[in-house]
Amino acid sequence: MSHAIEISGLKYRAGSFELKDVDLHVPTGSIYGFLGPNGSGKTTTMRLVLGLLRPLGGRISVLGDRMPEDAPRILARVGYVPEQPHLDATLTVRELMTFQAAFYPTWDRAFAEDLVKRFELDDHRVFGRLSKGQKAKLMILLALAQRGDLLVLDEPTDGLDPVVRRDILTALLEYVAERKATIFISSHLVHELERFCDWVAVMDDGRLVTEVPMEKLKLGTKRLVVSGAPATPGATPFVILSRDPAPPNGASERWIVGQWEPAMSSYFQGVGASLVDVIDLDLEDGFVELLRSFRTSRG
Amino acid sequence: MFHNLDARSPIPLYAQIAERIRLAIATGALAPAEALPSVRQLATELRVNPATVVQAYRDLEAQNFVEIRHGAGTFVRELAPGRRARERASQATALVRKLLAEARRMGVSLVEVQKAIEEEVGAKTP
Repeated sequence: MSHAIEISGLKYRAGSFELKDVDLHVPTGSIYGFLGPNGSGKTTTMRLVLGLLRPLGGRISVLGDRMPEDAPRILARVGYVPEQPHLDATLTVRELMTFQAAFYPTWDRAFAEDLVKRFELDDHRVFGRLSKGQKAKLMILLALAQRGDLLVLDEPTDGLDPVVRRDILTALLEYVAERKATIFISSHLVHELERFCDWVAVMDDGRLVTEVPMEKLKLGTKRLVVSGAPATPGATPFVILSRDPAPPNGASERWIVGQWEPAMSSYFQGVGASLVDVIDLDLEDGFVELLRSFRTSRG
Repeated sequence: MFHNLDARSPIPLYAQIAERIRLAIATGALAPAEALPSVRQLATELRVNPATVVQAYRDLEAQNFVEIRHGAGTFVRELAPGRRARERASQATALVRKLLAEARRMGVSLVEVQKAIEEEVGAKTP
């Protein structure tokens, strides 16, 4: 499998914040969701991928080229939407489009005009006087119309109303359907990513918690209801992410497990316990449980 | 046809989409030779990854429910009447299994479920 982004052993430090040996593999053509609490290192990682920060160590390759050595060649093929708008507030929508187009030989004018209409942007209005939703749409327009092979989107729908969010997501999905581009997208809105990401990575405190295909994460993470559970579970075929101690009234224990497969229920007969129920977890539950066990294991 | 796709369900979205289309073909809601929406159309309508729609269509093709004509689109195939009936029967079984699993989880007994069904239908099942 080829990778649009490949990162190994990435290190970075700024003040008390540290990125510690991050490895990421974003498959070409995937929609890759990048999750993590505030301050976990998502934005920093994205800025390193784009060469906006210099790493202390590690290796970054983007679209087959090395960052930062091949930065100009890479940036010509990457659309970026930063977390905070970085555009000149005194320029109009039209001027900003002209400005952006000058940097990208691949700029698609007809597509840009089409998006202006669809996003209902007033092209004479200055950036500083656009609403939050209009600003977000313009940023997406600028990133899409350069016709890149990779889009790096840092919380592109954060704080937007549902209508604007839907307009933006629709434009992104159409773009992927046509161009088979790769999208590397961070978001707090776990449920939003759940619908269309192929892959997810979870960050916490400057470290990578996990990187996994979405389906595997969702199919493999379960809440098990176990009665007569042994005090020490011994070797389990699945990974125990967390275990709530048995309540005093003799009710069943609840285990959160990863890498679960139905055939593994035989483990419980082997240890003299019984599996009462297997409950599916959605991405948000899985995400929270992964973070909880990651933090516990690190003490 | 796709009104309650559930992204939170552990059943992958592509499988849910394929199942809805299979059902529509089995019930005749989609007629033979009818074209399915384009990948781009369906992906944006459902707000899912285009690859998810491609995977659903490929699954349906592998099971002979549709034919993918490259450059032209995806079309419903003629199904043998027996197969349509079997498909509906398997959908009915899936519905019942879901109901029973939910009842078990809630502590509702089989007798109570049966009674409720009879009351809803307004007739006693033999």
